[in-house]
Amino acid sequence: MTEKKSTATVDKSKENLIGSLIRVTIDGREIRVPINTTILEAATLLGIKIPTLCYHKDLGLAGVCRMCVVEIEGQRVLQTSCTYPITQPLNIKTWSPEIRKARRNVLNLLLSEHYGSCVSCGRNDNCELRGLAAEYGVDDYVFGKMEQPAYEIKVDSPIVRDLNKCIGCFRCVRTCADFQDVSAIGVYGRGNEIKIATFQEWELLDSLCVACGQCATRCPTGALTERDDTDDIWKAIEDPSKHVVIQTAPAPRAAMGELFGLAPGNSVTKQLNEALHKVGFDKVFDTNFTADLTIMEEGTELLLRLKKALVEQKPVALPQLTSCSPGWIKFMEHTAPDLLDYLSTCKSPQQMFGAVIKTYYAEKNGIDPENIVSVSLMPCTAKKFEADRPEMADSGHKDVDYALTTREIARMVREMGLDLPNLQGEEFDDPLGIGSGAGLIFGATGGVMEAAIRTAYELVTGEELPFEKLRVEGVRGMEGVKTADLPITKAVPDWKFLEGATLKVMVAHGLKNARWVLEELRAGRLKDYHFVEIMCCPGGCLSGGGQPIPTSPEIRKARANAIYTEDESLPLRKSHENPVVKKIYEEFLTEGPCGHKSHKLLHTKYTPRGSRLV
Amino acid sequence: MQTLHRTGISEEIKKLAEKYGKNRTSLLPIMHELTAKYGRITDEMMQETADALGIRPIDVYSTVSFYTFFNEKTKGKYIVRLCQTISCDMDGKSKVARQLENELGIKFGETTPDGLFTLEYANCLGMCDQGPAVMINHKIFTKVTPGGVHQLLEECRKGKLDKIADMGSVRLNIIKSGPILDNKETENEGLKKALAMSRVDLIKEIRDSNLKGRGGAGFPTGVKWQIAAASKGEKKYVVCNADEGEPGTFKDRILMVEYPHRLIEGMTIASYAIGAEYGIIYLRAEYFFMKSHIEQVIEDRKSANLLGTNILGKEGFNFDVEIRMGAGAYVCGEETALIESLEGKRGEPRNRPPFPVVTGFDNYPTAVNNVETFVAASLIAAKGAEWFTEHGTEKTSGTKLMSISGDCANPGIYELPMGVTIDEMLIMAGGTGAKAVQVGGASGSCVPASQFDRKITYEDVATGGSIIIFGPNRDMLEVAKNFMEFFVEESCGQCFPCRKGNVKILEGIKLLEKGKCSTAYLSELISLGQSMQKASKCGLGQTSANAFINIIQHFGNEILARDIQE
Repeated sequence: MTEKKSTATVDKSKENLIGSLIRVTIDGREIRVPINTTILEAATLLGIKIPTLCYHKDLGLAGVCRMCVVEIEGQRVLQTSCTYPITQPLNIKTWSPEIRKARRNVLNLLLSEHYGSCVSCGRNDNCELRGLAAEYGVDDYVFGKMEQPAYEIKVDSPIVRDLNKCIGCFRCVRTCADFQDVSAIGVYGRGNEIKIATFQEWELLDSLCVACGQCATRCPTGALTERDDTDDIWKAIEDPSKHVVIQTAPAPRAAMGELFGLAPGNSVTKQLNEALHKVGFDKVFDTNFTADLTIMEEGTELLLRLKKALVEQKPVALPQLTSCSPGWIKFMEHTAPDLLDYLSTCKSPQQMFGAVIKTYYAEKNGIDPENIVSVSLMPCTAKKFEADRPEMADSGHKDVDYALTTREIARMVREMGLDLPNLQGEEFDDPLGIGSGAGLIFGATGGVMEAAIRTAYELVTGEELPFEKLRVEGVRGMEGVKTADLPITKAVPDWKFLEGATLKVMVAHGLKNARWVLEELRAGRLKDYHFVEIMCCPGGCLSGGGQPIPTSPEIRKARANAIYTEDESLPLRKSHENPVVKKIYEEFLTEGPCGHKSHKLLHTKYTPRGSRLV
Repeated sequence: MQTLHRTGISEEIKKLAEKYGKNRTSLLPIMHELTAKYGRITDEMMQETADALGIRPIDVYSTVSFYTFFNEKTKGKYIVRLCQTISCDMDGKSKVARQLENELGIKFGETTPDGLFTLEYANCLGMCDQGPAVMINHKIFTKVTPGGVHQLLEECRKGKLDKIADMGSVRLNIIKSGPILDNKETENEGLKKALAMSRVDLIKEIRDSNLKGRGGAGFPTGVKWQIAAASKGEKKYVVCNADEGEPGTFKDRILMVEYPHRLIEGMTIASYAIGAEYGIIYLRAEYFFMKSHIEQVIEDRKSANLLGTNILGKEGFNFDVEIRMGAGAYVCGEETALIESLEGKRGEPRNRPPFPVVTGFDNYPTAVNNVETFVAASLIAAKGAEWFTEHGTEKTSGTKLMSISGDCANPGIYELPMGVTIDEMLIMAGGTGAKAVQVGGASGSCVPASQFDRKITYEDVATGGSIIIFGPNRDMLEVAKNFMEFFVEESCGQCFPCRKGNVKILEGIKLLEKGKCSTAYLSELISLGQSMQKASKCGLGQTSANAFINIIQHFGNEILARDIQE
């Protein structure tokens, strides 16, 4: 197992100098820290809280909000603790009349141009501006108050933009440019006229935006939120002629508890099932089922490509790239329209599920697909975009009518007055409520690959993957790009051509790393690889743009732990052993994986979106 | 999906990318070329440029929107920019403005229906001693009178603008010269002597001279060079900050027009001292008229082996200089914003530390110095540290070029020893009887008559050279308003206190104008100003409230007692 690249920006200068500690005094307390530790980090180690607004653990330093200013002895002006590297002994005060005055003035300035009612704001429970204003007792609007909105709210995409609430901290821009390397949005203008804009003020989805929503999970206010579709769901639920089914993806259940007071890392799978039943969904299904189905389809597709390459010696696009992540798909369509053949043609589990519901499930239960409202609970804002893609209706009906985020469903559950963590818990509904642990781990980076390896290895060799507890450690974890080699020492007759081969796989998450993979691919440096998993969001779906706010490296790790722990508690750990998967191939997709019917319903095509110049 | 109409400009932009390099640092030069040729930057050009430089269209869009000399909408063939900053304002800018509007039949910000003229305001054109000043495309005209407006526009209409000399009607106005300006004959002696010295000795000489940065911040030049020399980097850069934008400052203009060899000699000496092979002059867009002149000097120096490889026979000592143009952003005078701008980005100041001497242009160690600093350094190299310390105060050596403008008989350039009092300057300039003097430009401090015995030096009243005199009849609230309008336009908008604080103070000044500001609110604004001074990110925000606070402090009663004109 090798590791190639890291998402975390590790400051090498810090690493090298551990051992040479510098003594600083903060509010009279001494601490010794490695050189280049920031004042904010040092204060945090001492348990001293310094308020921040533009700072975010995941992002590069802006130093623009000036909330975290501190006094350094001997310096004329206040310094921002988030940006200031400690390189010599310092005497620092985090609290003084001057500091308090500066922070209050900053908050007052922000409030004077922040338009919108907290009561109706989607972020009213965790708005950082509101929190700090309360903390500092800033409530008198010294510098005036906006009486009229200055901007129209833009609802042109899954991400709703309300610039009236934007404080210009540039977290979204830094997320888009540095964290994801997409650069759909930027700062336009100068001075107090600045605003966050897309190129030429195009609609978000016309820009390079992939709707990943990472900006929204880092926005300190309600300026960036997901498009709220819950009203439509309530209407459907209240309409007796509608059969409303919901599929739930693995990542939301690992994070939903955070919105109900649980610490990150506590799964609420069964409580969530009960809550969704109580909300009024007619059926609650498990997206893990189509994750398993994806493994069958995508795994078969890969083996067919390998056969074509190795046995028939024909040119074929390898490595095969995964296609579950709709943000990644749009990114690929923009960035590498010439390489679309490398993508698996498989729809994502969400869309496969939608297609199955409107066909197999409808037929089996004698329900007119017209009357089915197919809803999904996803950790993801890009899933809304994916559900609305025009090609996602191969059955004649839209696969997924509504894709809801974790945050939206949490609002519905709350509206029902349900105390989620303390519900008794219920099972998923039949017949599409069985998913394997392999499907579950789709929620974490490397999960698709691990699931594929568990199945492919067994299908090809006839033996179970010989790893402790089926863990494929090499593809787990938060390194930006991970690789693993899997030697095939023996093979069953069908796959004899693979005997002696080594399956080489790569896993990347976060579009910054995805871009690197595409560059490598284009440069011909991935010729040895067979299968590459790419997830749009750093950490995988567990940190999707629809997940609870806030997010941080620690939170992502905790959610991943919850997912892997739940996987090992399940009786079913391999996709190909899922009885519902077996059944659907017996009853419905009778030609087997990648057969004609599969291709019609479960596979898709992509849209080159490269140059805008025509 | 949105599409852009291809008009065939692709090849041209690719060629420009070849010429300047296929990376983001080429962005501003390419935007300048496109603006010069097509009068605007279209969405197509932005997309093509992004593709050619390997960046994203939003990067181009966002950067273009930062600079006032780039525009997306079509403007007139002649862009008439009237300087609105303090000295030109005091010299009768509004009358010229009115006449321009009358002659063209349009308001400021508009373009004539025939597409010939666009009328705009500009911030400080650096012609403060000869205002009001008007810039038409790249040419500058000074001492423009309302009566002269018609003739100026006629020249354009007749297509004669190009025939006017690059300098337009710009004058030098050196009223008092001193050791720096009088030493033209020693050109290149400093370089020769420097190359005969070791780097360590050269830096020591500069340190011993006690030369402090002439841009206004007053950082010891020798220390800066020493740190830059000690910084590790595959490459190093010497950057000349020629973004002379501080209202009331025009001394770098004189140095670059009259003493360009001295400037480049100083840069060459600096490059030797710190071990840099590349030099960049970041020249403000308003000074475009002198670009070709300096380029010629660079060429001449290359021919004379004063630039290039093995300079003056010194084996292995190579140094080249190029000019990069700013694009109308005062904040780019801040050294880290300047570096961002050189990198093809919005001119937003960086967090410091790290400082440019460690992490500068393209993340390499970079010594950024003011024009006058390089000129002084070349003379120190020629004549020795002691020669320099003969002048000035104990802590701040040497003479300083003062740009004196405003209400006085003899505005112009004065080379005076550090430590000169305001009173002494007023006598020399014929400005006695003034009620206040603004030292250090809009970002400096406003000194009332009671303190005219104070000294101009870094340990008392600091300045990069701007001295603006306010006569007994000046309305100080109007002065404060002019400054705040300047800062509202020039704030980069990045940090919160400066982005919004300047706007709030300007609104407060307008309330004061109307006689509608309570003293309680006034003290809130002063408190805000103080927070801006303490908590803003860069020198702009830390100083933009200075003048307002000073003026309220010294002239508060006068302002609150003004007659109100409804």
